[in-house]
Amino acid sequence: MTASPALVAERLSYAYRRGRPVLRDVSFDAANGEILAILGTSGSGKTTLLKLCRGLLPSQAGLITVLGQAVVSGRGALDPRIAYIPQQLGLVRSLSVMQNILIGALAMSPTLGSLVRLATPELTSRATDIAGSLGIAHKLGERAYALSGGERQRVAIARALLQRPQVLLADEFISQLDLFTTGEIMRLVRAVADQGVAVIMTTHEQTVVRDHADRAIVLRDGGKVVDVRTRTAAMADITAALRR
Amino acid sequence: MKARSVASRAIWLGLAVLLAISLSRLGLLDAARLGRGLRNLGEFAGSLFPPDPASLPTLAGAMVETLEIAFVGTFLGSVLALPLALLASPVLFGRAVTGPVKLLLAIVRTVPSLFWAIVFVVAVGLGPAAGALAVALYSLGYLGKLLYETFDAVDPEVIEAIRGAGAGRMQLARYAILPEAANGIVAQVLFMFEYNVRASSIMGFVGAGGIGYYLLGYIQLLRYDLLLTALLVTLIVVIAIDRVSALIRRVYLFPATPPAPAD
Repeated sequence: MTASPALVAERLSYAYRRGRPVLRDVSFDAANGEILAILGTSGSGKTTLLKLCRGLLPSQAGLITVLGQAVVSGRGALDPRIAYIPQQLGLVRSLSVMQNILIGALAMSPTLGSLVRLATPELTSRATDIAGSLGIAHKLGERAYALSGGERQRVAIARALLQRPQVLLADEFISQLDLFTTGEIMRLVRAVADQGVAVIMTTHEQTVVRDHADRAIVLRDGGKVVDVRTRTAAMADITAALRR
Repeated sequence: MKARSVASRAIWLGLAVLLAISLSRLGLLDAARLGRGLRNLGEFAGSLFPPDPASLPTLAGAMVETLEIAFVGTFLGSVLALPLALLASPVLFGRAVTGPVKLLLAIVRTVPSLFWAIVFVVAVGLGPAAGALAVALYSLGYLGKLLYETFDAVDPEVIEAIRGAGAGRMQLARYAILPEAANGIVAQVLFMFEYNVRASSIMGFVGAGGIGYYLLGYIQLLRYDLLLTALLVTLIVVIAIDRVSALIRRVYLFPATPPAPAD
């Protein structure tokens, strides 16, 4: 793990409706190779925070930088160095597992060529390798709608990995899994972080934070109330902040 | 709560008064006239039977032409509607683009297909070509709206995930919107084709080809037995198309909701 932060968010505020902020003056950073968990009850602003970091929402106040460059938003192509896995994973149901994984390569493919054919031999080979490492190589030809919950999670991770991101944002993407599958998926996430990727994930599972995260921040009513390293006595602080 | 009840009664009373006025103005409260109408209907129904099969060979050819008008019209309309519907999608473009495109589709849609048929009869002359072009233009307006509404309903998380992968607008359309809306696109195009078969069957009223030419002719000649034969041919074809559409839906459409996670 290096000390330089991959993502820096400074004094972020955001309101969907005037006068009702869902984020208030939130600052945090995430280093390469680190798993940062963002905790908070429903409505605490976790998803909004991740969408701002990805550029899916326009910035209203504050600044987010990834490796020194400000995050841009808008309808055009977003920064390919950031990967994003939404809560329901966002797989394209009618496409095959292979096609869904290859979507991760859109940013590095020429636009017109990718509209006709995305699967170059090199990309297909990489996608197959990634799928193999995630245990879904035998599912590559299946349609996404026919997969189980854990398999869908793996496809979403594979899509993100093919993108070769510097920062991976994941929004409660393990919330619907059982404990065993959660453990497996989190071990894969750790392997991703070990490749130098900053992983920022929202969750409400304190056990996931305790067992797998390096750091945690807690949001309450749109503000950051805790920012601690985990695997120390910090879990008590986190629990207290969530119950307060 | 009480005020709401009074308001509700006032609305119902207003509707009842409006209905009574409309019925009266339309002549539908005139009992003598309605009685005459019933007698005329009885006579008309009697003259429909038995249907005369002598015109079947002619009608079969006209029905094929009607289907050709509907098929070509739906195809051309769909091909044109798809890119326009993408341009009208707020997921891909801002109001400066979506607004004018939606307005254009609304204008095209507002004009009835029979009027477009007259325009194209003037433009390209009498015959099925005018009918096909009229159906294409009407389909463009109607299908364009149906498709951009289908695109708007695509799961926002899929859009966000694909945008999150760094996709540009065209890539987003190709790999998120079109595949996710595939069910809707197939269903809407099939619906449009079914609708167009019925619409094409009256294109002949204004000289734009198809079975409508014979329908109008039989009415003008008071040959209701031949008219019934033509209507039965149309009915059989429409039912057959409904069945074929259902089969296509079964074969091509993927489940609307994913199965529950197995683990």
